[in-house]
Amino acid sequence: MNKDRIEQDILIDAQPAQVWSVLTEPAHVGEWFGQGAPAEIDLRPGGIMKLDHGEHGTFPTTIVTVDPPRRFVYRWASGFPGEVANEANSTLVEFTLEPENGGTRLKVVESGFTTRLPSPSPDASYESHLEGWKGVVAELKKHTEKLVA
Amino acid sequence: MTTEPAAAEEVLTALADPTRRLILDRLSRRGDATATLLADELPVTRQAVVKHLVVLDRAGLVTARRDGRERRYRVRPDGLAATARWMNEVAAQWSSRLGMIKRIAEQAERAGLGGEAPGNL
Repeated sequence: MNKDRIEQDILIDAQPAQVWSVLTEPAHVGEWFGQGAPAEIDLRPGGIMKLDHGEHGTFPTTIVTVDPPRRFVYRWASGFPGEVANEANSTLVEFTLEPENGGTRLKVVESGFTTRLPSPSPDASYESHLEGWKGVVAELKKHTEKLVA
Repeated sequence: MTTEPAAAEEVLTALADPTRRLILDRLSRRGDATATLLADELPVTRQAVVKHLVVLDRAGLVTARRDGRERRYRVRPDGLAATARWMNEVAAQWSSRLGMIKRIAEQAERAGLGGEAPGNL
């Protein structure tokens, strides 16, 4: 289960262009990644996609890559309602679409969990020297298997 | 939405440091150890070891008990287990979102709203 990131994929019986529209069009995004109301989406690198998660708050995710109908990448500050996602407070969510058997293989990778520090810690300068999250979750798996009987 | 124990991030952050991973390895191998003992085995000062242990303690990954003038540390597996569960939950949420994307895309495709002409939805 654990690698240095979370990775999931699914085979969809629809053309990549169709899947792309579900990933990027306000009405669709509001349905699968929100409360039902259309999301506000400024579909360009650097643009904001505003996700309404009801009682959890609103999440202005920052779009990184728009490459239809192949790749859609954004930063999602899921731990910080209301805050615009940046490199310090968010994970990176990457969708890739590939044609397969007349349909589309949709893959999502969410990475960067350890960069989402909840608040500056007393030894923040020390923490800032961390090498990042790479390999961390692999370590987590290793330790968990070793320690949890 | 992700229900996320703040602790999960602290655990991941604690584990992101190679020296702290080494300390955890040593502790789990020995059962328990003092900061002095760990410093003897690792290429860092006792002071640095203590600082790392504080981070590990705060993340719920180690626990300490007094032993004379020193504190003896041991690994707490439950912190790691909770974080592993949280990662699983995040993965399960993506799995469910992908399922919804699939359903919506396949319905639209069948209805002939195809993506060939984006913007006609």
